[in-house]
Amino acid sequence: MSLLEVCNLKVRFQADRRRLRRSSGCVRAVDDVSFAIEPGETLGLVGESGCGKTSLARAVIRLIEPASGSVWFEGEELTRLDAAALRSRRRKFQMIFQDPYTTLDPLMTAGEAIGEALDVHQLCQGEEDRRRQIEVLLSEVGLDPEHARRYPHEFSGGQRQRIGIARALAVRPKLVVCDEPVSALDVSVQAQIINLLRELQRSLGIAYLFITHDLAVVEHISQRILVMYLGRVMEAGEAKLICRSPKHPYTQALLSAVPVLDPDSKRQRIILPGEPPSPIDPPSGCPFHPRCPLAEARCREQTPALREIGAGHQVACHLVAPPPMG
Amino acid sequence: MPLLEIKNLTLDLAFQGATARVVEDVSLQIDSGETVCLVGESGCGKSLTALSIARLVPTPPARYAGGQILVGGQDVLGMSRAELRRLRGRVVSYVFQEPTASLNPVFRVGSQIKESLRLHRPEAATDLEVSRLLKVVGISAPESRMRAYPHELSGGMQQRVMIAMALASQPSLLVADEPTTALDVTVQAQIFDLLRNLKQEFRMSLFLITHNLGVVRDLADRVAVMYAGQIVEHGPADAVLRKPRHPYTKALVNSVPKLGSSEQSLKVIPGQVPRLGAFPQGCRFHPRCGRVRPNCSVETPGLDEAQPNHQVRCPYWIRDAAGFDE
Repeated sequence: MSLLEVCNLKVRFQADRRRLRRSSGCVRAVDDVSFAIEPGETLGLVGESGCGKTSLARAVIRLIEPASGSVWFEGEELTRLDAAALRSRRRKFQMIFQDPYTTLDPLMTAGEAIGEALDVHQLCQGEEDRRRQIEVLLSEVGLDPEHARRYPHEFSGGQRQRIGIARALAVRPKLVVCDEPVSALDVSVQAQIINLLRELQRSLGIAYLFITHDLAVVEHISQRILVMYLGRVMEAGEAKLICRSPKHPYTQALLSAVPVLDPDSKRQRIILPGEPPSPIDPPSGCPFHPRCPLAEARCREQTPALREIGAGHQVACHLVAPPPMG
Repeated sequence: MPLLEIKNLTLDLAFQGATARVVEDVSLQIDSGETVCLVGESGCGKSLTALSIARLVPTPPARYAGGQILVGGQDVLGMSRAELRRLRGRVVSYVFQEPTASLNPVFRVGSQIKESLRLHRPEAATDLEVSRLLKVVGISAPESRMRAYPHELSGGMQQRVMIAMALASQPSLLVADEPTTALDVTVQAQIFDLLRNLKQEFRMSLFLITHNLGVVRDLADRVAVMYAGQIVEHGPADAVLRKPRHPYTKALVNSVPKLGSSEQSLKVIPGQVPRLGAFPQGCRFHPRCGRVRPNCSVETPGLDEAQPNHQVRCPYWIRDAAGFDE
């Protein structure tokens, strides 16, 4: 059984009708997305801003309500739970946010921030146990137990992100949703946090849904990748496979756009025209066709389905041939 | 004569009641038509160095404690207000990180570009020239786009408008301070492509501030790496990336996740970037350096020639050059 299973999830946002007369007044932030995460696995969610990756992640753990579709966690349908039942399940899935400067309460010490998570889920037996658990968590994320008494402004960005991770780990979750956890950090500190997340995964067996726009990071940390564009999955499959031989024209362009350090790399750069269109007014057919260098007539009319083209490798493109039958 | 010559620039900043030396003994030169990158993490002094070229750092709180900045042979630090006005825009133009923060939200983008034209080339302050500039930076339908307000344009478009404004004055040096940090990967690739083409077309020099080493490889002729207010390595981009000499450069190159590599965990630089005013004694990198020697905390290394045109601020690579290439 998968740890998490997401089936045909859709997220809609009501747009302000007065300002958007032309459109249906509805933003399709996430359109018919399905995937699964196994225990202890990392699934990378890649895409540019506005592609719906954050909305998808939030809908999965019901921080926002999906319009339709279902989410199953350990065989239980989260999308049907009432508020009280959902709160008790939340212990098993936690979130780490992008900006460590805005996610910590400036008036709470690091110890209080972590302790709050323990209190909400009543995970400590007495004051002594609480203090000990906070110390263990701080050292697990590479901080000093002494740091429990300090306030957020006394920490650097990387240290704050470590506190955010400690707070997520406090309730011993099975799944952690990481929303761009290293984007706001300096290069040298990014590597520290990525390594820390990997070590924690190895020692605690946590699964990650790892959201990022940085393909090098996602290739490094994930076993599988989901590439999103305008609310839809364009390509999904094993991380190494997708990064080495991407099949969807969008994935190919996205990968070729990453500045690569290797002086000997002889990559062909694909410069896409334009920018991702607004999800309020998505193009007909394949959402990528207005920027696609290979678009044909049918791409403008028919929306390509996500099809299996190899073991666990799915692509939503008319031009990518499925494997021969039989 | 080089277009820009920074000689031993030293800058103090009054900061929380104390004075911190935030830029120390920085020397750089840019010849005409050349692209030079300045790389470093937050707080290393790279932006203050870039802003100093047109003396855009407010004094106080800053104070130039020494050095010279020669643009076309004239010392910027000794210029009168009138001379500075002639320098800014006309000789040196800037493009900043956040286009949303640089554009005035209540004026149409066309009139903001025209303002730049009126100041520097009054004879060309026409709609025709504005639309030509917009076309140069790759904005389609310039006649209608020039009537748009900044909020009606996407981030990539806004950055193109900023570049058009910078080009309006036909500068000899374009300083771009992290121009794509706020943009998506595919749009980032477009902007760098544009800068590369414009540089050739207008025979400008480009001074690019970035934290992304991949960008250096793509664009730079030469690169200077800054750490804690000092240049620690400076040389031809290809040589520095291929064979970094300074332990910090080397660690920085190693800490970046690389697409298509199979390494298991990233080599991290331990610790944090030092805070302003709290730079370590001796070599400023020594507390984080993997090759630290007892002397490093005492002796302040100079920036010495490793090879012609390649300088390194670490005395040990010379004595131990072979051991450095593991």
